[in-house]
Amino acid sequence: MIEFIAQNLAPIMFMGLIVFLLFGYPVAFSLAACGLFFFVVGVELAPYSNGAISLSWPLLYALPENFYGNRVMSNDVLLAIPFFTFMGIVLERSGMAEDLLDTVGQLFGPIRGGLAYAVILVGALLAATTGVVAASVIAMGLISLPIMLRYGYDRRVASGVIAASGTLAQIIPPSLVLIVLADQLGRSVGDMYAGAIIPGLVLTGLYMSYILIMTFYRRDSMPALPLEARTLGHGVTSLLIALAAAAAIAYTAHVYLTPTQGANADIWGATVGIIVIYAFAVADKSMGFGLMSRLAQQVIIVLIPPLALIFLVLGTIFLGIATPTEGGAMGAVGALIMAAAKGRLNMEVIKQALASTTRLSAFVMFILIGARVFSLTFYGVNGHIWVEHLLVSTPGGETGFLIVVNILVFLLAFFLDFFELAFIVVPLLAPAADKLGIDLIWFGVLLGINMQTSFMHPPFGFALFYLRSVAARVPYLDKITGKKIEPVTTGQIYWGAVPFVCIQVIMVALTIMFPQMVMHYKGEVVDPGEIEIIVPPFGGGDQPGLPGGLPPLGAPPAVDGGAAAPAPSPAPGTDLSQPPKF
Amino acid sequence: MKGLLALSRAIDRVNELIGRWVSWLILLSILISAVNAIIRKAFNMSSNAWLEAQWYLFGAAFMLAAAYTLKQNDHIRIDIVYGMWSRRKQHWIDLIGHVFFLMPFTLLMVYYFVPYTLRSIRNGEVSTNAGGLIVWPAKAILLAGFTFLALQGISEIIKKIAIMRGDMDDPTPFITAHEAAEQEGKALVEELKS
Repeated sequence: MIEFIAQNLAPIMFMGLIVFLLFGYPVAFSLAACGLFFFVVGVELAPYSNGAISLSWPLLYALPENFYGNRVMSNDVLLAIPFFTFMGIVLERSGMAEDLLDTVGQLFGPIRGGLAYAVILVGALLAATTGVVAASVIAMGLISLPIMLRYGYDRRVASGVIAASGTLAQIIPPSLVLIVLADQLGRSVGDMYAGAIIPGLVLTGLYMSYILIMTFYRRDSMPALPLEARTLGHGVTSLLIALAAAAAIAYTAHVYLTPTQGANADIWGATVGIIVIYAFAVADKSMGFGLMSRLAQQVIIVLIPPLALIFLVLGTIFLGIATPTEGGAMGAVGALIMAAAKGRLNMEVIKQALASTTRLSAFVMFILIGARVFSLTFYGVNGHIWVEHLLVSTPGGETGFLIVVNILVFLLAFFLDFFELAFIVVPLLAPAADKLGIDLIWFGVLLGINMQTSFMHPPFGFALFYLRSVAARVPYLDKITGKKIEPVTTGQIYWGAVPFVCIQVIMVALTIMFPQMVMHYKGEVVDPGEIEIIVPPFGGGDQPGLPGGLPPLGAPPAVDGGAAAPAPSPAPGTDLSQPPKF
Repeated sequence: MKGLLALSRAIDRVNELIGRWVSWLILLSILISAVNAIIRKAFNMSSNAWLEAQWYLFGAAFMLAAAYTLKQNDHIRIDIVYGMWSRRKQHWIDLIGHVFFLMPFTLLMVYYFVPYTLRSIRNGEVSTNAGGLIVWPAKAILLAGFTFLALQGISEIIKKIAIMRGDMDDPTPFITAHEAAEQEGKALVEELKS
């Protein structure tokens, strides 16, 4: 009996983990406790395990180095988490989302389904400035939902499109999910961003196609705004002319700058064009020249600051000027400047944003710390080999594996949020994926799209709850039309999300079928001098040496096959390939 | 019980003070990172000390805020099963968790981190990156973080027992993560309207 337990401690420990987590004590400490409990059990049972358990007391000494080391505390990649979180919270307080929704809604309002397109577009734009799901959904629920209800949008479509567009923040860079996945998969965040951008845009396109199909299939489900609701008036021609002028200026500047700036001329040219048109719009508005239509003015003035911010963050990362962490820091500073320019910045806002950021950082990093304790033991009982064996033997090879894993993650996402999935589940899946020759960026993007569903599937998805908190629960009188508007029921919110969950599944399937959507990241020319700091080291050879004086993994060649994979590595300085010492 | 509750209040106050104060370190870290990136690009100067300072500061923020986060009951749980129990059973789960999950882990970490940090101080350990910072403050932060977390654990145990005996009110009544999400939404709405 004892031998049986000892030789099967890995599956037993995994079941134990589920029990520990379901117990309901905070995840971070449950993980650590599970790790420590099975460590003790493992050490006691090791003599009976026939070599299956390689745990001994001295291994615990590895924990301090493990926490100090570059997987937890001295981790440049995870440093991006507080930076982007802070940026997102400051932006949500700056009123940018509200302005965008108003303006883009006016721009698209006159066409059928226009408000829905506007919500999707703004959702994608917010996502590209580190949208926070909660903030995006709430802003849309506050601003767009009442307008949609006023003009007779189908409630289910309206609430579904809002909840789904808010979750785009999870997959469109610079998202926290991608940072954490990159870290756990041992790939560079820059590559992960580059890989995710096309699937993110395709997904946005799929949402829009769904709206387009719905406008044909059920013509009255999303009527165009009536004339009296188009407050910004006409003037699309003026906007097109302004954009053409901006493009012309940019091109001219590009030609002039090429001799002096070389390869950077196109960026500088674009910058000049954008600044000129922005300055022109601001001047036109404040002086009242009336050269542009109001619509054109408004669109340019509202749209350019967020686009500039997106360039400041994503542009610098993709061009290799800044690491993702630095991009996050610059984005945070940019968000502060933008909020200040709008007169929305005060001490209280900064304090609150910092408090939320610190709270999130503390619980996320402690889940990571707990997960490190867990994986120290799990590796010691050869759990990684057990999981790998289990997963590699799935029928259907690479595709079979991806399908099984995605179904698994889809189901787990009902109960676990993405931080827990990323720190507990992903490290178990990664070595198997790597062994099957699956590109880990591709794998990460797939998981990212999949985990996005966890925000929107009824009845657990958080985006639905955020929307519930702002959607009317009781009938109300509309201020503009004076008509009585019926409330949005919870059932409508749930059913509205279902088509988008299906779209999400389709997107996962598309990404499996067309990996080239992700794989183009390899073609990116990245200055190696710039990315060296963001690649978490594996195998120990390529790192300029850890401050602790120990090699990062202490991985001997025998373990290297597995350890070169991004998996949660064995404790630094611990040699698991050697026979256990007792 | 009175004496114990006084102790618990003292611990709470210290950790609350620390928890609120350390969040400024994140802002400092952001500014250092942004300035460092710009200077590196503009003047082609790079300094490992400034790079390391960023994660020192972030490390200090999340390690030292962990105790405050625990006090606020903000470490996330999986509450599908937990949410089904009566409040009384939840108190028991929390108490068992504090005593058998949290305390052994934090105390073990304090026990390991004392010699680990002392060794670093004694050796005057300096980062192996050229021009890097001295190492012991970062290790001391980890030690301090686990120490404060252990102290907060003691405070939580005292409070939990007091609540279960009816000696004090529950400062953090249970709400599900979804209710919390709705509340967060409502708070955000209020803020945007103001």
